[in-house]
Amino acid sequence: MAATRETAAAVRDVEQYKYGFVTDIESDMAPLGLNEGIIRFISAKKGEPEWMLEWRLKAYRYWLTLADEEPGWAKLRFPKIDYQASYYYAAPKRKAALTSLDEVDPKLLETYKKLGIPLLEQQILAGVAVDAVFDSVSVATTYKKKLEQLGVIFAPFSEAVHKHPELVKKYLGSVVPYSDNFYATLNSAVFTDGSFVYIPKGLRCPMELSTYFRINEKNTGQFERTLIIADEGSYVSYLEGCTAPQRDENQLHAAVVELVALDDAEIKYSTVQNWYPGDADGKGGIYNFVTKRGACRGKNSKIMWTQVETGSAITWKYPSCILQGDNSVGEFYSVAITSNRQQADTGTKMIHLGRNTRSKIVSKGISAGHADNTYRGLVRIGAKADGARNYTQCDSLLIGSTCGAHTVPYVENRNPTAVTEHEATTSKISEDQLFYCRQRGMSQEEAVSLIVNGFCREVLQTLPMEFAVEAQKLVGISLEGSVG
Amino acid sequence: MKPSEIIDHPFAGAYAKRLGVKTPWQGHLPGPKMEAWRFTPLRTLANTPFVPASASAEVDVTELPRGVPLIAGAARLVLVNGAYREDLSDADFGPGVTISTAEAFASSSRSPLALLNAAYASAGVSIDAAGPGLRPIHLVSIGAAGAEPAAFHPRLRITVAPGASLTIIESHVGLPGQTYFSNPVTEIALAENANLRRYVSVAEDSEAFHLATATISIAAGGSLEAFHLGLGGALVRQDITVRFAGRGAAARLNGAYALSGRSHHDFTTVMDHNVPDCRSSQVFKGVADGDSHGVFQGRIHVARDAQKTDARQLHKALFLSRGPEIDCKPELEIYADDVQCAHGAATGEIDHDQLFYLMSRGIDPATARSLLVEGFLTEAVDEISVPEVQALFRDAIGAWLKSRDIARARP
Repeated sequence: MAATRETAAAVRDVEQYKYGFVTDIESDMAPLGLNEGIIRFISAKKGEPEWMLEWRLKAYRYWLTLADEEPGWAKLRFPKIDYQASYYYAAPKRKAALTSLDEVDPKLLETYKKLGIPLLEQQILAGVAVDAVFDSVSVATTYKKKLEQLGVIFAPFSEAVHKHPELVKKYLGSVVPYSDNFYATLNSAVFTDGSFVYIPKGLRCPMELSTYFRINEKNTGQFERTLIIADEGSYVSYLEGCTAPQRDENQLHAAVVELVALDDAEIKYSTVQNWYPGDADGKGGIYNFVTKRGACRGKNSKIMWTQVETGSAITWKYPSCILQGDNSVGEFYSVAITSNRQQADTGTKMIHLGRNTRSKIVSKGISAGHADNTYRGLVRIGAKADGARNYTQCDSLLIGSTCGAHTVPYVENRNPTAVTEHEATTSKISEDQLFYCRQRGMSQEEAVSLIVNGFCREVLQTLPMEFAVEAQKLVGISLEGSVG
Repeated sequence: MKPSEIIDHPFAGAYAKRLGVKTPWQGHLPGPKMEAWRFTPLRTLANTPFVPASASAEVDVTELPRGVPLIAGAARLVLVNGAYREDLSDADFGPGVTISTAEAFASSSRSPLALLNAAYASAGVSIDAAGPGLRPIHLVSIGAAGAEPAAFHPRLRITVAPGASLTIIESHVGLPGQTYFSNPVTEIALAENANLRRYVSVAEDSEAFHLATATISIAAGGSLEAFHLGLGGALVRQDITVRFAGRGAAARLNGAYALSGRSHHDFTTVMDHNVPDCRSSQVFKGVADGDSHGVFQGRIHVARDAQKTDARQLHKALFLSRGPEIDCKPELEIYADDVQCAHGAATGEIDHDQLFYLMSRGIDPATARSLLVEGFLTEAVDEISVPEVQALFRDAIGAWLKSRDIARARP
């Protein structure tokens, strides 16, 4: 019950979006707009080798041909984005190279404190190495030494390009090619930073790796790129949390995440996404257009996505698994909560190519206020995927009569020995359950928070401990004000 | 519309001129990038040089093709290439039923194929039913091409007056070995407390195209019970939209498909819940053999005001060999909170345990497989409330099973 009390307390405490503050740090910015010059500017800023610049330019030139191909199939409504009205690079100014956390700008550290991730404390207590991305540049990487000794590479992407070019070259774009889709192509051209993780053969990474992303500078799109490679027999759990300060304009966030799991490797990728959702009238908020995909390359490999999506004005996100290796496993657990004028179109793709591949999808959508929440998922069984197995369960909960909940699954099966199952339900919060809670002295909001947390339990349980608590709080906070 | 969403279609273009009104589909058919048609490509159709069926008058049909069942007690209405044939039809449809061949009437469907039909259909057939004790109607639509592939566009309207109850059985067949394109549009209106039972069998020839669009609106207290069977054709799509127009209306829409060879069959359904207190249920079952392709797309739409809606949908399909592809896309689009909506979809092969169970009791593998497939499809056929019609559809499936060598044992 401790968690429940905490949830209830959080609902009471938080009246507004509690991360709505702006850190006042002078930025090093690229000029407004997007052209080849900007891409060269970004690449030069990062001191990138020639091949990296070439890759970016290739993506940019391809992107120009996609002018009409901006995805329009999702159940989302938003004004056309002017890609020339955004800044594509913003880095906090640094005085000198940093060697320890003490040298990090105290204002930045303060920001993270407000977000509830005190780096210093985490280093000592939680055993979590945090690669903190502040706008576009990683400012502090903790626990690096310890991980290095084990052979784990956990570095900002820009550093990995210099130090491990052979790995980056080999795997960059191998899961999400630069030509994949409109937003991924844009990201390939202008990505500024992100995380790079390599887990060596046979190693079970002893700590959870975590990155907190933050959008800070006004009018900046954030385009980070994450690449995680789990070599044979390794295991890693990666956490990603997102919060952003309050802004009136919509901000674009188009990230790409690529995961590669080789033989017998396992990657667990957890996200709590809490970008600024805009105000009650739908003003402001983040446009979250993210391409996340994992390739289970090796036999017996496993990739597990867990996401808790509570923020963003618009979420367009489909963390997927390509199950190439025999006996590989893909799992997707999702909670998506939309309230006020938020819109979410999210789901997954499970592409079964290898024999005896298995996938499981559990999606919980909660819609309140004037929000629209869509689950969109694809399960495709290739002709050679003998013995493939899929189970999908999508449940939607509607709170109030002005919101929408939609389920759009695609099931394409080309193999007779494969079994696919899909189930979906839509309903509202049970009056009986509400009555039961109210009768025991809980307020309407406490009761709804408790019931919704119960509805999402199956997904929240898959989160690592540190995240599970935060996620439970978020579930309550997100529905705040939309009940009763 | 993006260029990737259409395919040019000279034949549609010629027809569109007759329509007089500008539509986005002028001269085009939906392309593979068009969401509603992603599983059912029309490339082959667009590349076939069809002529209007009326121009290929050299083939005449003087009797019903073999395989069309004779239904005792039902009045027969025959269309050949979409035109009403008085000589093959019954003269008397009993009291309360009026058959008229009127000028083409307007259709509420804006789908590209309904527009194509509107552009070309010369005369529509209207069935108006009122009063108690109506005689069932057996509608037979026969496709007959000449030397050239022929296209025809039957246009049918059915109205059922308040409180009346009508049963209609439709058989869509063709002369063997011919390439034709049947593009029927059916408009059905059920008045308050009216009741319609509609049983449709599409068993076109293996070279034939059949793209049917049906729109059914149900007023308060009205009810629909429908069963659609798809037994073949080169490319068949049964597109069914049910609109609930008054409180307390109910629809049971069920179907089955059994495919072999290179058949392609697509069930696309929309349950449009616009008013409160309506119920809909759907059960679709399919089996696919050879290199066939089965598609099920079912959308349940619940509008903001349609509180207390109860909508359910189920699609299950079985693979009978290694060749087929089965795609399904059940979809829920819900804007009201006090509703109960659910859908389920599953695909797989014959359960090995069930097979083992039957074989352990001395039944040979071929018979065991046959029994299991029959049992699987029967679950949907059982939803038919008229025993005679149920038997008819069961026989059709039995004949399909016999004609297929599905019984041959596979690993």
